[in-house]
Amino acid sequence: MSVTLLIGTRKGLFQLQSDDRRSWKLEGPTLEGWDVLHAIVDSRDGTLYTAANTYPYGGTVQRSADMGKTWERAEDIGLPEESGLKLEKTWHVRPGREPGEVWLGAAPGALLRSTDGGKTFASVASLTQHETRDRWEPGAGGMCCHSIQLDAEDPDRMYVAISAAGSFRSDDGAETWTPINKNVAADFMAEKYPEVGQCVHKLLAHPAKTERLWQQNHCGVYRSDDRGDNWERLDGNGLPSGFGFPIMLHPRDPDTAWVIPENADLNRVTAEVRLGVYRTKDAGESWELTANGLPDQAWTGVLREASSFDSADPVGLYFGTQGGSVWVSPNEGDEWIEAASNLPPILSVEAHWQE
Amino acid sequence: MLLPSILAAEAGGQGRFELEAGTVGEALRALPVENMLFDEHGELRRLVNVYVDGVDIRGGDGVESALAGGEELRVVQAVAGGRPSRHHT
Repeated sequence: MSVTLLIGTRKGLFQLQSDDRRSWKLEGPTLEGWDVLHAIVDSRDGTLYTAANTYPYGGTVQRSADMGKTWERAEDIGLPEESGLKLEKTWHVRPGREPGEVWLGAAPGALLRSTDGGKTFASVASLTQHETRDRWEPGAGGMCCHSIQLDAEDPDRMYVAISAAGSFRSDDGAETWTPINKNVAADFMAEKYPEVGQCVHKLLAHPAKTERLWQQNHCGVYRSDDRGDNWERLDGNGLPSGFGFPIMLHPRDPDTAWVIPENADLNRVTAEVRLGVYRTKDAGESWELTANGLPDQAWTGVLREASSFDSADPVGLYFGTQGGSVWVSPNEGDEWIEAASNLPPILSVEAHWQE
Repeated sequence: MLLPSILAAEAGGQGRFELEAGTVGEALRALPVENMLFDEHGELRRLVNVYVDGVDIRGGDGVESALAGGEELRVVQAVAGGRPSRHHT
């Protein structure tokens, strides 16, 4: 087994490599000076894609055919003039289904698609011109499209999530988008359960039980068993807080998931003055703390892109903190190992796993 | 034309260019980092400053500023941060 962790930071991209998920070798950084909000390897051809940003020169996608030794920047990327919008930041890259297809989530509230392996990206107008857009508001991190999930079975179905616009599903290959936010709270709005405007922090679709979705929201942890048509709130039953950003799934057991709660939106540090990962094995009916090896005193945070999981047995879990530590569990949360420390603030973690 | 380090890295490690151009905009668009300097609508990014022989082009004709030949152009990224000092009495 070989695992490469892609660690996006405020000071470039680092990589951690391991053959046993216990001892790790640190390499990098590359893309020095760039904020790497997300990095992912396209398993189809091994291309490494990053959502890379600098504050003066904006956001782009940097891609590498040699795992970061050399980089090529997207040649044409942006939002059309008639939209009245400009690309603010690139957030999330998701390799697509068609040859050369790559999806990109961006701010402000935008989805872009490449059909040439990341050389050029064009805006998906059905989302940037969505009929509910006038009710979308930016979250604290901007109006970021941070989650892109492709249904593992239906080639026409996909999901996006935007803070703070909510979650949307397309059943027709991104031609149209349906808001899927029923029963999801927006406590910061006058209307507590609006059609759109929810501040979803991370949305994941289960790869095996495809009708099941999970989300960590500004206002709670939720599960849907009908592709987002309805949601059930899952916190208050062992979780110290409903607020948090990352969520991790067990790729084979759809009832198992992990979250890392924070105190509250105005006090964004890990809950109960510790670094704790909470696990459910019963689809969110109950949660238990898994903290063996994690510091029992901590005031840190884990951002929305800064967690990942692999498909090995047992499942490996990975997350990075704003304090620059990378934590690994080689056994589904039973034990935690610090794989690296004193890195720059960590923006994203993605596991590239090979058997 | 002199570029700061992050642009030089994107230009293949080259931070100094000798260019022939009639305007500042033409010179900037001849660079291999054009799409980092200009946004997707063709406007010079707000936090990108360009100086011609030490003079900010935004005080003149911007990217339309004419070049006669022999000028030194320098791209400088804006620095943000800090707070204005306040005097308490």
